[in-house]
Amino acid sequence: MKWLLSFVVLAIVAVVRAASFTGNRLLVVLDEQAEREKYSVFLEDLAARGFHTTVDSPKGDKVALFKHDERTYDHVLLLPAKSKGLGPALTANNLLEFVKKDGNLLVALSSEQATPTAVQSLLLELDISIPNNKGALVVDHFNYDSDSASEKHDVLLLPYPAALRSGLKNYFGGEGYIAVPRAVGQVLGNDSPLLSPILRAPSTAYSYDSKDEAEAVEDPFAVGQQLSLVSAMQAHNSARLTVLGSAELLQNRWFAEKAKLGDKAVTTANRDFAAKLSAWTFKETGVLKVGKVVHYQDEGASKKVNASIPESNPTIYRVKSDVHYQVEISEYSNDHLIPFVPAANDNIQLEFSMLSPFHRLNLSPISQTANSTIFGVAFKTPDQHGIFNFRVNYRRPFVTNIDEKRQVTVRHFAHDEWPRSWQISGAWVWIGGIWVTVAGWLAFIAVWLYSAPAEKSVKKTQ
Amino acid sequence: MPPKQRTAAPQTVPGTPYSAAKPKSANDAQDILQGVWNRYVEKTTQRTKLLDSFMLFLVVVGALQFLYVVLVGNFPFNAFLSGFSACVGQFVLTASLRIQTNPENKADFESISHERAFADFVFGSLLLHFFCVNFIN
Repeated sequence: MKWLLSFVVLAIVAVVRAASFTGNRLLVVLDEQAEREKYSVFLEDLAARGFHTTVDSPKGDKVALFKHDERTYDHVLLLPAKSKGLGPALTANNLLEFVKKDGNLLVALSSEQATPTAVQSLLLELDISIPNNKGALVVDHFNYDSDSASEKHDVLLLPYPAALRSGLKNYFGGEGYIAVPRAVGQVLGNDSPLLSPILRAPSTAYSYDSKDEAEAVEDPFAVGQQLSLVSAMQAHNSARLTVLGSAELLQNRWFAEKAKLGDKAVTTANRDFAAKLSAWTFKETGVLKVGKVVHYQDEGASKKVNASIPESNPTIYRVKSDVHYQVEISEYSNDHLIPFVPAANDNIQLEFSMLSPFHRLNLSPISQTANSTIFGVAFKTPDQHGIFNFRVNYRRPFVTNIDEKRQVTVRHFAHDEWPRSWQISGAWVWIGGIWVTVAGWLAFIAVWLYSAPAEKSVKKTQ
Repeated sequence: MPPKQRTAAPQTVPGTPYSAAKPKSANDAQDILQGVWNRYVEKTTQRTKLLDSFMLFLVVVGALQFLYVVLVGNFPFNAFLSGFSACVGQFVLTASLRIQTNPENKADFESISHERAFADFVFGSLLLHFFCVNFIN
C-alpha cells in the first residue's frame, strides 16, 4: 500500500508543479556561465512556474535533445552564443526533429553576436528571414528610449501588441511599455500559414547595419511593420517555435528599467512580457483540449414516449434524420483547464463531410462546466448515403490546432421508412385512379357474369 | 353495297333528310359516322359492347390521371406510375379478352373457350391490382 500512497503523493506533486501542458523539462542553452547571471531573474521565474531547468553550454558533452529516439527535454530555450556553431547536438536538423516530436523552442537572437549557422538554416527552413551580417539591428527615431539610447535610437519602447486581427485571442496583451534593445528584425514569408508575428516593429522603424559607415541607409533589409521583432511558428502538430529578436529583452537589467519615451518617464514591463512569451511558447497558455464528443439521433416528439435516452454515438444514421452533435472543449491557462470561449467574431465549426463537406455549421456554446465549454449544433443529415465524418477542424494562430474526426455511416431509407401513399396528398388522385379501376373491373365482372351469352349453339361443336 | 344496308337500318329514326342529301354535302362525313355507329350497334354482341364500354371507361380514367400529372406535376412518381399503369394494364387485359371472345375471331381461337379466356382475364387483373396497390405503397 505504501508504494501506492507514494505514487499518489507524487502524482499530486507533479500536478501542482506542472506549469506546462506538455511537460516541464526545460533545456537552457547558454554559452558560458557568466551569461547566466544576466538572465537569472527570468530563469528563476521559469523555475518558480514549475520548470525543471537544465542549463548547459552548446558544446557540452551532455547536451542531447534525444535519447533512444525520445525527447530528453520538452522545451528548449536557445540564448545567443559567442561561437559561430552550436555543436553536433544542436544542428538545424536536430532542432527541426525536436519540433516534429512536439518539442517547443524559444530562440533568442542578438545583434551583438553572430547568429549561429544552425539557427540561421533553421529559420531559413521555416521561411523566416533575418539579416545576414552581424550588427544589423532595428532602429526607430520616434519610439526610442531617450535615457539609454539618446544617440543611437536602437532601444525601442513599444506598447504591448494588440490582437493580430479581429477574431483572435491575444495572449500577449498588457499595460505598459516593452523595451526592445538592439533587436534583430525578422521578415516572415508570406506563404506559410504557420507563421505569425507576435510583436511588430512600428511603422517608423527600419533595419540598419550598425557596422555600416555610410551616412545614409541605402537598401535597408526591411522597414516598418514588415519587420517583426518577435515572431511565432506553430507547426501542424501544435509544437511552437518563437523567435525573439532581442535576447537582451530577457535580461535582468531591462526587467524593470526606468526609461524615457520622449519626455514621458515609463517603467519597462519586460518581465511580464517575457513571462507571457515563454508561457505561450512552452504551452502554458493557448492550449486547447477536446473532451467528450457526443452525437446522437433526435427521435422527435413522436417516439419520445418509448425511448428514454437516445443512443449516444451510434455508428449508423439514416439520410434526412435529425442529428445532434456536442463537443467539450477546454483551454489550458497557466496551471488549470478553463472553459474555452472563442474570441468575438470567431466560431468553431462542425463539418459533416464525405470527401467534401455537406454541412459546415457554427457550433454554439450550450453549457459550461467548471473547466470546459460544451459546444453543440443540431442539423439534418443530407440526402446522400455513404461514409461521413463529423469533423471539427479549428486552426487559429496562437491556439493549438483541433482536428477531431468521428466516422459514421449514413444509410438510405429502409423499405418501411418511406411515408405511406395516403400521407402524401399529391398521391390521392392516383390512389383514386387505382381504386376506380378496381371498382370498375368488379362491376364489369358482375355484369359479364350476369349477362349470359345469347348464342350457345355455336360453341357446342367443340 | 354497304351504304344501302346502312340506310335501311335507320329507317326507325324519325327524320330522314340525310338520305336525300346523300351524294355530296357537309352531311356526308356525318353520314358515314352515323352508318358506322348504327352498324356497330346492330352487329356487335352484347358482351363485346360491355367490353367496349369498360375499355372506354378505362381510357377516360387514364386520361384524367394523365391530365393531372401534366397540370399538377408528378411528385409521388411511383403513385402516378402505379395509378396510370393500373388503367393501361387493365385496358390491355380487357382488349385481350375482347379479342379472344369476339365471335368474329372464332376461327383464330378455336382451342380457347370463353370461360377459359375470362378466367385468364380475372387472374391477370388480380395480379395487376396486387402489383399496383403494392407499388403505390
